Amino acid sequence: MPAYPALDTTALSRRRLLQLIGLGAGTLTLAACVPEAGPAAPQAAGTAAAGAKTDFSFASWSLTEETAAPAIRELLGQYADANDVEVREVSYPYNEYISQLTLQVKGGQVTGAVHVDVAWLGSLAALGKLQDLGPLAQGADYTQAGLTASQFDGVQYGLPWNIGAIGLIANSGLLEQAGIGDAPATVDEFEAALKDLKKLGGGVVPYAASTKAAQLKDVLIWMETFGSPLLDGGKVTIGDDASVEAVTWYKSLYDQGLIAADVDRFDARSLFAQGRAAIYDDAIVGRDAVVSESPDKKLADKLTAWSRPVLAAGDTPRALVWGGALAVVQGEGAETAADFARWMTSDVEVAKQYFAARGLPPATESALALPEVADDAFGAQFAERITATATTNPFWVYPQYAQIETVIAEQVQAVLVGSAEPKAAMEKAGAAAQKLVD
Amino acid sequence: MSASQVETLQHTNSHSPPRRLTDGQFALLLLLPGGALLLGVVLYPLVAALVTAFFEQSLVVPGRTFVGLANIVDVLTVDFPRLLWQTLVFTVGTTIFPFVIGFALALALNTRIRGAKVLRGLMLIPWLVPGVVVSFLWMWIFNANYGVLNALLETLGLIDGPVAWLAQPGTAMTAVVVAKTWQSFPWMMVMLLAGLQTVPRELHEAAEMDGAGTVRRFFSITLPQVKGIVGLVLLLELIWNFQHFDIIYVLTGGGPAGATQTFATAVYETAFHGFDLGHAGALGLLWMVLLMGLVVVYIRFSEKGEGK
Repeated sequence: MPAYPALDTTALSRRRLLQLIGLGAGTLTLAACVPEAGPAAPQAAGTAAAGAKTDFSFASWSLTEETAAPAIRELLGQYADANDVEVREVSYPYNEYISQLTLQVKGGQVTGAVHVDVAWLGSLAALGKLQDLGPLAQGADYTQAGLTASQFDGVQYGLPWNIGAIGLIANSGLLEQAGIGDAPATVDEFEAALKDLKKLGGGVVPYAASTKAAQLKDVLIWMETFGSPLLDGGKVTIGDDASVEAVTWYKSLYDQGLIAADVDRFDARSLFAQGRAAIYDDAIVGRDAVVSESPDKKLADKLTAWSRPVLAAGDTPRALVWGGALAVVQGEGAETAADFARWMTSDVEVAKQYFAARGLPPATESALALPEVADDAFGAQFAERITATATTNPFWVYPQYAQIETVIAEQVQAVLVGSAEPKAAMEKAGAAAQKLVD
Repeated sequence: MSASQVETLQHTNSHSPPRRLTDGQFALLLLLPGGALLLGVVLYPLVAALVTAFFEQSLVVPGRTFVGLANIVDVLTVDFPRLLWQTLVFTVGTTIFPFVIGFALALALNTRIRGAKVLRGLMLIPWLVPGVVVSFLWMWIFNANYGVLNALLETLGLIDGPVAWLAQPGTAMTAVVVAKTWQSFPWMMVMLLAGLQTVPRELHEAAEMDGAGTVRRFFSITLPQVKGIVGLVLLLELIWNFQHFDIIYVLTGGGPAGATQTFATAVYETAFHGFDLGHAGALGLLWMVLLMGLVVVYIRFSEKGEGK
């Protein structure tokens, strides 16, 4: 039996240590030399010869949402059965979606159809893996607003699915109890209405505005309301008087208990559904969520859309464009995924079925003309009072949009919790955002 | 057949002994699969991630630019002191509190009480629950608007209105430490109980006969006998908590306004929400250097234990 020398596992000579450091440095150098893949020009969908349908993936945050998932799964099933393919589901919650999707797309783990918020198109397009869906968009009667919202840098990266805006949604039952008749026109009137709502007591949050960092981007629309353009000719204006005034006002609402701590869009929907919040910010997609979650069977009839109050009478109310589009990531199953994206977004029967299930405004002229869509009173009110004046966020054109949003949200949150003064915080946010824009 | 032919034939037919591997070569062969795996799935990704510390690199914008130590300087001058302090508060808090609770329970369970085995099993439950589930549970307890804690305190008349436990810098870190303590104390308890059970009862009996009280016996017999295991669990907890991610991230996401941000959550936030791989790499590099310090202490401690 051979005698094995005892291994000395503890002693580490200086020479050995140097050898290890040398090895480590060598490996670092090698790793540093690994080439980075550059961006690829977008490949046009629908230009390749149409082959047999293949299996593909479909990514959507809505698949994680109890109220949305069944309607989407039903449509996925219909497409899969009709074309004899398998549709693999990929899903992450909304607040994690863009980060996870970016990683997966960059790493090549996700290809096929992806549901995107139109705000993210710039970030995803920068990865160089989205298909140009321009040829596919031709021949379908998408609304011009939908097509424009789903473009980035002039390229049709998305096919519009549901395009609208984010605005204020109120519970007319609670407004009535508080003696609030007409929607407040100005910021001062709005604050007065919130104070009246607070007097209702019973733990009612007058305005379930976003206060968690994940959704604090909502404050940007208030900055615009107060007169800050956010971005002016490539110069970030956050830190100007208007943005500071907006954040100071937001903080005063927080301190007065007119908005609540620890709220994001999903908390706000929950509070609103339970009748514990009178007003909150959402797109029309929120209707489906709050109505289905509410113990109040008549909540749907109590919903009312408010134009965002303005700083001075006569100003144009601000609203933020909101929309979901379907994009296609190059790779396995992309051809069929593109066909699916067009079917899902432009087929009138699909739009009819999806509208019946979720009440979301479709993005084609023919679907918008459907009687059930045209007769939707809340939808029409929302479109007239909110969507009509909606504008895009000027930061969306930057691939670093998510980063910009994060640095601003962090500083606004610091103001809300009292760790920073509005002026200093907004100047810091503006400087950080400017660095990213440059 | 000539003599030379015979010699050649003999030479051809002669069998050379089979080539044997030396012990060193054999050991190397055994290490090869493990080593390759380690290199492929641990070392390479680690090194590649650390290398990004020296580049300006975004997750969404292709390409990268070498910036030398700029990212590290940025991190050291802006975020590092705050992150270090918060990481230390979290690490020390989530090590000390579970230790005190775990040790107290271990001492109690080490006595001859009825149902000790059942109690020990029940107390293990928090440790068996996955971290994300623990986080959601405590998130529900601490939620400002529909949380159980606020409801309870309001019912008892201790607070007038809802307290935003997770949304105020002063209470958020406490809430995170409470949640992690609840998850960690069972492990501490089990380890310390195992240590306590190795202390010979005769020592206690002899001391008792000599008139030593409970406190005296604890400090003079129990503690010296279990100090090895105490040191080990404290060190391991410190190392794990220094790297802890899930409970902090799910419960507060590092907020409000970064008040519960630790190195672990900051690296994730910077890389995957801020898409800034360069600064995330720099944070990771500094974090690893600090962690190495703890690991060295642990190795020294283990060696000392083995030596004894």
